[in-house]
Amino acid sequence: MRSETGFDPALYDRFPTKGGRPKGEEEELRRIWCKPKGWEYLTVVNNNYVGIYYLGTAFLFFLMAGVLALLMRAQLAAPMLEILPQGTYNQVFTMHGTVMMFLFAVPAVEAAGVLLLPQMLAARDLPFPRLSAYAFWAYAVGGLCFFASIFVGLAPDGGWFMYPPLTSKAFSPGINTDFWLLGIGFIEISAIAGAIEIIVGVLRTRAPGMSLDKMPIFAWSMLVFAVMIVIAFPSIILGTLLLEIERAFNWPFFDATRGGDPMLWEHLFWFFGHPEVYIIFLPAAGMMSMIVAAVAREELVGYRLIVLAMLATGFISFGVWAHHMFATGMPPMTTGFFSAASMAVSVPAGLQVFSWIATLAIGKRSFNAPGLFVLGSIVIFVTGGLTGVMVAMVPFDWQAHDSYFIVAHLHYVLIGGMVFPLFAAFYYWIPMVSRRALSEPLAKWVFGLMFSGMNIAFLPMHLAGLQGMPRRIYTYLPGQGLELPNLISTIGAFMLAAGVLLFLVDLARNFRLAPGGGNAGNVYDGGTLEWLPSELYSTRSIPVVRSREPLRDDPKLADDVAAGRYFLPGSATGLRETIVTSPLLAEPQYLQIMPGPSAWPFAAAVFTAGFFLALTVQAYMFGWVSGVLAVACVLRWLWETDRPVEQAEVDIGAGIMVPTYVTGPSSHGWWAMVILLVVMAMIFIMALFSLAFLWSNQPGFWTPPPKIGAALPVALLYGTALVAALAARRLLPRGAGGSAGLLLFSVLAAGVALWLDWSSWRASGLVSEASGQGATIYALQALQAFATGTGLLMAAFCAARALRGLVSLPRNNSVDLTMLFLAYTAVQGLVAALFGRAFGMP
Amino acid sequence: MRSWLILLGGLLLWAVHFFLLYGIGEFGGSGPAARLAIGLISIACLAIITILLVRLARQPREDALSGWGAYLGRAGLLLGALGVVWQTLPVLLAQ
Repeated sequence: MRSETGFDPALYDRFPTKGGRPKGEEEELRRIWCKPKGWEYLTVVNNNYVGIYYLGTAFLFFLMAGVLALLMRAQLAAPMLEILPQGTYNQVFTMHGTVMMFLFAVPAVEAAGVLLLPQMLAARDLPFPRLSAYAFWAYAVGGLCFFASIFVGLAPDGGWFMYPPLTSKAFSPGINTDFWLLGIGFIEISAIAGAIEIIVGVLRTRAPGMSLDKMPIFAWSMLVFAVMIVIAFPSIILGTLLLEIERAFNWPFFDATRGGDPMLWEHLFWFFGHPEVYIIFLPAAGMMSMIVAAVAREELVGYRLIVLAMLATGFISFGVWAHHMFATGMPPMTTGFFSAASMAVSVPAGLQVFSWIATLAIGKRSFNAPGLFVLGSIVIFVTGGLTGVMVAMVPFDWQAHDSYFIVAHLHYVLIGGMVFPLFAAFYYWIPMVSRRALSEPLAKWVFGLMFSGMNIAFLPMHLAGLQGMPRRIYTYLPGQGLELPNLISTIGAFMLAAGVLLFLVDLARNFRLAPGGGNAGNVYDGGTLEWLPSELYSTRSIPVVRSREPLRDDPKLADDVAAGRYFLPGSATGLRETIVTSPLLAEPQYLQIMPGPSAWPFAAAVFTAGFFLALTVQAYMFGWVSGVLAVACVLRWLWETDRPVEQAEVDIGAGIMVPTYVTGPSSHGWWAMVILLVVMAMIFIMALFSLAFLWSNQPGFWTPPPKIGAALPVALLYGTALVAALAARRLLPRGAGGSAGLLLFSVLAAGVALWLDWSSWRASGLVSEASGQGATIYALQALQAFATGTGLLMAAFCAARALRGLVSLPRNNSVDLTMLFLAYTAVQGLVAALFGRAFGMP
Repeated sequence: MRSWLILLGGLLLWAVHFFLLYGIGEFGGSGPAARLAIGLISIACLAIITILLVRLARQPREDALSGWGAYLGRAGLLLGALGVVWQTLPVLLAQ
């Protein structure tokens, strides 16, 4: 049998170990992973708490956005009603879509990952618990403030996709649009922080032996989900940034009269917006696959094909964004590409559906609560998928575009593809975190009301749409045949709401949080590791995984794990820790010392939200102070990390020794930084695309760039910055001071290069307010300035640590990561300088 | 990295093919030169997929994971080939 890291797989045969464990070992684990008290609930970082907070907040947003939906349905129950004035209706439908997509759907599935993954992978926690806490608090504080805008009439009103020119300053002069653009900013940060956590968590903290082919399907889905966030979200980050800059500083990215193009926004938005649907769907599909196998008491049919289907969905979903733009007059050949991809993406989704049906067909299925929601989900999702194939065909799309047919389609897809699976997951996994399971009899009523309500609400919308009812209208005239379908839809919406209300009653009656153990247990007979007995430190010991459903295949596993007969039965260092394993075969590599509770992530999140919200309401001084404080809090939280422990190597069980401090490409920090750099590179690539797009579509506004030869000193300086950054890591064994000095020199060289580049563009007469070209060129420079500024902060951080003697020799993670960031900054600057000049050269 | 490339090879090739086609459609127009380029790119992608399929078939199976990865790689390559042909059809069928 091969090894990925040099680890001998025969060592697994030492487990389960024989004999008893020392007294006090488990008590020490409990002490290290102790419960919070009082204010400590705000500073807690353990996934058992953060996951619940996260899920609870996401569900709160689901309820609030649901109330907005009921208001809309009340308004549309009959023609010419005046329950909501037109302007308020615009705010309500914008907030409904925005909150459901950004504040409920993505955070809810991310929360499920934070809560379930460590248990499912038998890790003590995710690898960056403070990052999880930061991501949650930024989302919760910012999201609630964002939602509150509707109570003062300042909520955004341009639709959840915020198309310019409607959302440009000329047509939306108030701050409503800014609330959306800046309000979404912190949610994007939060989503990306969570995605980094999940990717590294899934690939590096799996239980020993859990190779990729033995990984639970939910973990696969979360991995694809998180990678998709990393690729898709940068596009909307850039889009919101550019639109806000256009509104604040009059840089015409999307103004067609000055060489911008509103179509650019559509490309940037939908490159995020359509994958977003699959970003939501995939984790829900992962949950479905887990639950289907449990309720059918049968191994999932076609595990390999489902993994392939998830990967294929991840890829193909990035080739369908422009199907939202079929009515904009794109070139016919391009339209054909997107139409073909839109039909193709239904193939992997169909594969998963057939697998679920096959598993249910051959298994001993039971129609318990999760089983019912699983079946309901399949029916609803397939209906939405079929109408999706219909609108993938361009001629049909032209007829149905912007009508209620589309409203029906998207709700069938999203409710069937995400909401019903989430409810199935609630019923299935609540016994893992609650002392009592939810009520089965009540669940049948909840399901009945939700399933029938959903279909009664949305099925007639297909008809209303085909009869010509457009989306986003606050009322309609009588006598057009729209009264009956709308009335039926409203009745259905209230039935759906009644089902959700009944679910809340069930929660109030039965949900009793038990994060420290004493939960209801494996009610539905699942076979994966999250059903092992666990406490706040997760499982007592970390098992060797030898199959995909270890609990079914080894009936003694739970007892052996609880008796501490596997890896890490106690704390090897007296600190919070987990085993980091290799990405393919999950071989133990080293022991990660995990950070404990801290107030700094909470404070950083509050100030981050304050920064964005203060800018929105134009309280600039408060905003900048908040921003500086947020950065200071992050630096303070990082100051406590990256410290080697006294023992260089420890025994993690059965005499297997691993190091406690690792640097370089095998460390989890390196992986996180590389993913962060992918995010930055995607933002940068989308900015380059913006420049190319405007050059292609608005050539009349293009002015000749500075000569390519003028970029030579810029290129030399960026080259110097790159070499200095790489050399800083090489020279570290000779002393931390010299290394930190080189890092600072690298920033200096990058800064001078940026200044030279900027000066040459200024000298060429290009002005940011004058044309789309000017706006985009200076936006690229602004991105580069941001990267350089961040690099300066990181280099200064390393220098400060070097002065305090906190940089370990001969290798150090902080230096490694700063080196990576500065090397990337230099390459980005060089590409920006050359690319900007390449377009429009005479 | 090699294992990931085996696992994702077919889908990566589909993605490269799609974005090249989109780039040509967006920035290069739809004239005969663009169609020729699209045809050549598609043939090249299919050729690479064929080569990878053959190499994957010859690769020894060291353990369960590599066998599993090879299966997934082969299926991904076949799906990628199907995707490449499917994406090229609009160009071949357009008037």
